[in-house]
Amino acid sequence: MIYDEPRVLPGGDTFVLVQFGDDARIDLNFMALGLTAALREDRTKGVIDTNPSYNSVVVEYDPDLIGADDLAQELRRLIEGLGSVEDLELESRLAYLPVMYRDPWTKACVEDYAQRIAPRDGDPEFVARINGLEDAAQLARVHSGTEHWVVAVCSTPGLPLMVALDPRCAITSPKYNPPRTWTTLGAIGVGGLSTSIYTTPGPGGYNLIGRTPVPLWDTQARLPAYRDRVVLLDAADRVKFVPVELEEFEYIERRVADGTYAFNITGYQRFSVRAYKDWVASLDPSERF
Amino acid sequence: MAITVIKGGLETTVQDYPGRKGAFGMGFPPSGPIDHWSFRLANVLVGNAPGAAALECAFIGPTLRFERDAVIALTGADMKATLDGDPVPLWQSIGARAGQTLALASAVTGARTYIAFAGGIDVPLFLDSRATFVIGACGGLDGVALKEGQTIPLGSADNAAPGRRLKEGTRPPAPAGGIWEIEVVAGPNDDWIDAAGQRRFLESDWKLSPKSNRVGFRLEGPEWTFTEKATNKAPENGEHPSNVIDHGYPIGAINLCGQTPIILMVDTLTLGGFINPYTVPTCAWWKLGQSRPNETYRFRQVSVAEAQAERRRIAALCTAASLAPEGPP
Repeated sequence: MIYDEPRVLPGGDTFVLVQFGDDARIDLNFMALGLTAALREDRTKGVIDTNPSYNSVVVEYDPDLIGADDLAQELRRLIEGLGSVEDLELESRLAYLPVMYRDPWTKACVEDYAQRIAPRDGDPEFVARINGLEDAAQLARVHSGTEHWVVAVCSTPGLPLMVALDPRCAITSPKYNPPRTWTTLGAIGVGGLSTSIYTTPGPGGYNLIGRTPVPLWDTQARLPAYRDRVVLLDAADRVKFVPVELEEFEYIERRVADGTYAFNITGYQRFSVRAYKDWVASLDPSERF
Repeated sequence: MAITVIKGGLETTVQDYPGRKGAFGMGFPPSGPIDHWSFRLANVLVGNAPGAAALECAFIGPTLRFERDAVIALTGADMKATLDGDPVPLWQSIGARAGQTLALASAVTGARTYIAFAGGIDVPLFLDSRATFVIGACGGLDGVALKEGQTIPLGSADNAAPGRRLKEGTRPPAPAGGIWEIEVVAGPNDDWIDAAGQRRFLESDWKLSPKSNRVGFRLEGPEWTFTEKATNKAPENGEHPSNVIDHGYPIGAINLCGQTPIILMVDTLTLGGFINPYTVPTCAWWKLGQSRPNETYRFRQVSVAEAQAERRRIAALCTAASLAPEGPP
């Protein structure tokens, strides 16, 4: 449901949660990112930071500079100024990220889980089966056939939460229960309607279908892409996965290790929600790649 | 050379206040000191800005050798600190000479000791902060907790003197009867908990689990019960009543993970798929920072305005106005 009036809920003395609705339809994220961009542009006094997600934005504020009631009023003013969701146009870069689907490393991670924690078949095969796809090879075609929208960069440094923009490529899968205790760095995981990339080797619950050899954050500025930024992606960017085989994977790994890897990111586009919706309406949703 | 780390202690980190702000969009929590009241007073005692970079020492403190003269102050937990074997008093500035060794032991009261150095700790800024974030391997001294052999660089100080003390009533009080009364603000997701569950939360004793750290403070206590909102929701929210579509986490939120509440602290994950029925406001974090595993928490609900007033009251105490007039005590 999309709320008629977005809700502004307190989170202690320095945070509020602005909720646009209670499900995961992408319009709610467009609104959340629209508000995030508006707050950045408006330089609202007392607003320290924003943390957007699927249907909400956490706003951090300095109560010495703006009171809770005034903040809520400012937020409602900015949301009204956004107009309808179709009117939104968001800055959006397109990043091409290499991925080896059905790689040996995430396979080993899943096997380790199956041995130590709970029985489990291969993740790509499982995800393909429950989505009515022929096999893991088709899963790779479908998953790499769409641009993935970066809903949020969050949780751990540089970690993108993404959803498929092309409805013909939407896949859905349950998360691990109980969760994994460790995850291969660079693993591509799918869970719910989302795709993520593990940027730290910590626990996780998404099904692992591949691995990227490129880092999504770098505090040491070793690669040219990180000279003036710490994480690769921002919310509202898009990611296109480029399938590679082992030889290419290892070549890219070497380029990353010697500090010469150049990311392929285009930065001249803006994302129009209206144009996107018009395009989606023109598709045959029963088509699969 | 300024200070050499002889022993790192259990988890001693460089922190600054308020930590790394404005980096949620990159996936970085703020870090910074948990007991930011004691932290700021340590800086005030040595003539620094209240937020200057200083050390947070958890449970077992470090052993440090001074390679140059310095003025320092220790606040927070009592770790039976000694300087070349002589006891070091808490809550006042003292002089340390080049060659002397400051040794902290285990905390006998409280949990975290703060050590401020006149001039502050001069490590590079990362995303505008010197706070260590160990999980992100960034900030502080090489992004790690202190370890043997590291050198802590100090800034220069022109406003420091030993023997400075605090006025009465300016520092955090000890908990009454060993029980911590922790302020909470309802929300953002209090309407997912039914009236009985809310009452149970506010009326029960909660035990701090030993599985607690800068990421989160885990609590043990009674069951939670839920409203319709938690049990009858869009399927993408997840199966358990405590599951919700991934949302950003306020720092201090009481994050309900299944039936286990975890107070999300300064190094938390910035987003996830569990509800936050209550939030511990910043004015109560010092209590978290000084509480020990198996101690008891009782939560007292306050309004946003009350929490903000207490925050202002504490901030006003964390200034040079809290210094006692110079002279013999």
